[in-house]
Amino acid sequence: MRETPLSNCERDFLLKGIQEKKRLDGRQTYDYRNIKISFGTDYGCCTVTLGKTRVLAQVSCELVPPKDSRPTEGIMFFNLELSPMASPGFQSNRQSELLVTLNRQLERCLRNSRCIDTESLCVISGEKVWQIRVDVHVLNHDGNLMDAASVAAISALCHFKRPEVAIQGRDVTVFSPEERDPVPLSVYHMPICVSFAFFQQGSYLLVDPCEKEELVMDGLLVLAMNKHREICSIQSSGGIMLLKDQVLRCSKIASVKVSEITELITKALENDRRARKEGGKFGFAESIAKERITVLTREEAPLDTTDIQATADGIISKADAPPEVVPSPVIVATGTGQVGEGLENTWGLEEDDEEEEMADVTERKTKEDEVMVLSDSEEEEVVILNQDGRSKRSQR
Amino acid sequence: MNAIHSCFKAQIGEVVLPGDVFQFDVSSVEEDSNIKSEKIVCGPGLRRNGDEILVYKSGILRHKQPSMYWIDSQQKRYVPVKGESVIGIVTAKSGDIFKVDVGGSEQASLSYLAFEGATKRNRPNVQVGDLVYAQFIIANKDMEPELVCIDSCGRANGMGVFGAGGFLFKVSLGLVRRLLAPQSEMVKDLEKIFPFEMVVGLNGRVWVKAKSVQQTLIIANLLESCENMTAQQRRALFKRVAEGAL
Amino acid sequence: MELDINSPVLREFGSEQSLLSKPDGSATFMQGDTSVMVGVYGPAEVKVNKEIYDRATLEVLIQPKSGMPSVRERTREQCVRETCEAALLSTLHPRSSLTLVLQVVHDDGSLLACCLNAACMVLMDAGLPMSRLFCGVTCAIDAEGQIITDPTAQQEKESRALLTFAIDSKEHNVMMSSTKGSFSMKEMQQCIAVSQKASERIFQFYRDSVKRRYSKIL
Repeated sequence: MRETPLSNCERDFLLKGIQEKKRLDGRQTYDYRNIKISFGTDYGCCTVTLGKTRVLAQVSCELVPPKDSRPTEGIMFFNLELSPMASPGFQSNRQSELLVTLNRQLERCLRNSRCIDTESLCVISGEKVWQIRVDVHVLNHDGNLMDAASVAAISALCHFKRPEVAIQGRDVTVFSPEERDPVPLSVYHMPICVSFAFFQQGSYLLVDPCEKEELVMDGLLVLAMNKHREICSIQSSGGIMLLKDQVLRCSKIASVKVSEITELITKALENDRRARKEGGKFGFAESIAKERITVLTREEAPLDTTDIQATADGIISKADAPPEVVPSPVIVATGTGQVGEGLENTWGLEEDDEEEEMADVTERKTKEDEVMVLSDSEEEEVVILNQDGRSKRSQR
Repeated sequence: MNAIHSCFKAQIGEVVLPGDVFQFDVSSVEEDSNIKSEKIVCGPGLRRNGDEILVYKSGILRHKQPSMYWIDSQQKRYVPVKGESVIGIVTAKSGDIFKVDVGGSEQASLSYLAFEGATKRNRPNVQVGDLVYAQFIIANKDMEPELVCIDSCGRANGMGVFGAGGFLFKVSLGLVRRLLAPQSEMVKDLEKIFPFEMVVGLNGRVWVKAKSVQQTLIIANLLESCENMTAQQRRALFKRVAEGAL
Repeated sequence: MELDINSPVLREFGSEQSLLSKPDGSATFMQGDTSVMVGVYGPAEVKVNKEIYDRATLEVLIQPKSGMPSVRERTREQCVRETCEAALLSTLHPRSSLTLVLQVVHDDGSLLACCLNAACMVLMDAGLPMSRLFCGVTCAIDAEGQIITDPTAQQEKESRALLTFAIDSKEHNVMMSSTKGSFSMKEMQQCIAVSQKASERIFQFYRDSVKRRYSKIL
């Protein structure tokens, strides 16, 4: 499917707005849209909405043999998917340029920054380690997918708990959550991406660009940083020349944004932990705003089952009894055997054909002039049908 | 005839869902129609199926005198209808026609002769990416839709290429229809805030131009937020804006 | 064998419509902890090789939460697609595409039923022409022969048979069935009867949610 093209009118207006420091949704230059983080019932499941952009992250784990080069380290695997739900331009199973860029950036932000202690994921050196898989699904695209994906991924990693294992010699026992409490991953720090869009060869700058703004931008700078103000990765794309001052200014803005977002994630994690501890309700169902008019929920309620038994019995009694199984093959003539012959037709089709066939068989046995008889009857039938059809037409 | 009207009557202004049917007795209708040949017009969302009328969209059943019935629904995707005016984006020039994106399942074609005063020599000045306000002369499910920027007398009548400035945004088709309703209260309320120009296409695209970028943005954001608001809530919001939340 | 239907329940359920800005229609449906999000695009442009001259091409994609879609997702896609095809009046939009994308958000049993309910909600939200509505109900038969409606993942695991039906809103007929495990004819008929009862509540829910949605512009 094709995306709606951007008209010249929108482009001109957006650029004019940026010059006058006016953004579509009334934000200031350095403002983020509202970020909402909610966790699912599973450990390691998290949705993040950034304005209208929405992503879902799920962390899962399995025991695998380690890489030969690093026998004592667990494996981190990141997979970002651009679901065709997110935008008509996205197609499933297609490696678009955007998909590759986002995946690469996510890996650089979270794997190469070594924010997860991979050594603690080793179960038996050289034989079994945990592979942690992070799936990030983009569900709605309204710009700045990178920031939303990085927040979702790191929140999900912080939320995730892997099963406890016990090692006896070479045997590994994996305990279910009921047997032993699962253990969280050890997260050293939380790198978060902050995107800066540049316009007019870098003379204007916006934080957290929305989709329309991304369509008219000249360049993009993505900074990954943690709350200790350590830069974890930095990437500039779009081929614009940035001055040293500009990059430094961006890193200053990023440090403020990162500390705000980190606090938000910590708070969301804390809320979820408290809800689980107190035995209250948690999960996505609880995070839905029930006051919206597009939302409706119903409480759990029993079904009225007064006449179900009777209805079912009625249907069965009305239905034809299933055919009896023929116990032994029927011998029609010496030297021939047939199974299933003479049964009642349970398909509810016309049985004429079968009878004709039956007649065929018997007639052949009695060696009468069966060919003539059959062809006669067929012709007669055809004529009758035609007549019927004509008479009906003439009536109308 | 009353048989048909009476089966609708109870449901007018009520919410109906796909699969709901309105049944009437065909024989009685046919007898009546001999005396007074009246027709029922089934608008969007309604279909005749033998001796019943089937609802195939969810929404509110509306009625217009004397015998028009349709379903008012909020959807986003536009399906071209003959005679409707839309805002299109020119995506390509190929030979004698422009290809125009109108948000439907197919691009519409627009002949370069279908502009006021256009001749083979005097081509209209339309570039790729420009906006056009045009009307469908061909729109059915089996053919490529075709647009024109002139009425039957060859006059522009408000249609044609948009001038510079202004801003285009998208709202639901339900909101567009409410904006275009004659004596629309929403437009009247908006006009009280400050003066602006507005073009509304039935395909859900709205173009707004006010005195400044700021004011244009305010109008656009107000309109988008009107989607799910009662008249009272809307007035309260507009009043707050007019009083100087600017 | 006498079956004991011990007050079957539908778990707490709910939905939200039009929650995504990009798709032409979007919805989430939640039954207990099971939750599915779905978006639909269409009638939109269709690829030439998928074009059908007299009706719309319907594509259904189900995305699992982790990993790539597998055979399990494919069979579910087929169940949902065939049910939608039966309900949609696709001849009204020939040579166009309808794309339904379902994202599993959490699986706690009765996932196929939840997918069906979400699909119906989203088709209504997008305003696509439908001759009828449909809903999905899952019934599990446990080892003692008890019917459990809308089972959780745990109940599904312990069950002897699992039956999912798509029920239509007009005559409450069965539009699609997907079963696993062994059961008698009588058990199946009882499950259908229970599902038909449950469907009434879901159809009422559809009506209530559309009413609520249009409540401000009546």
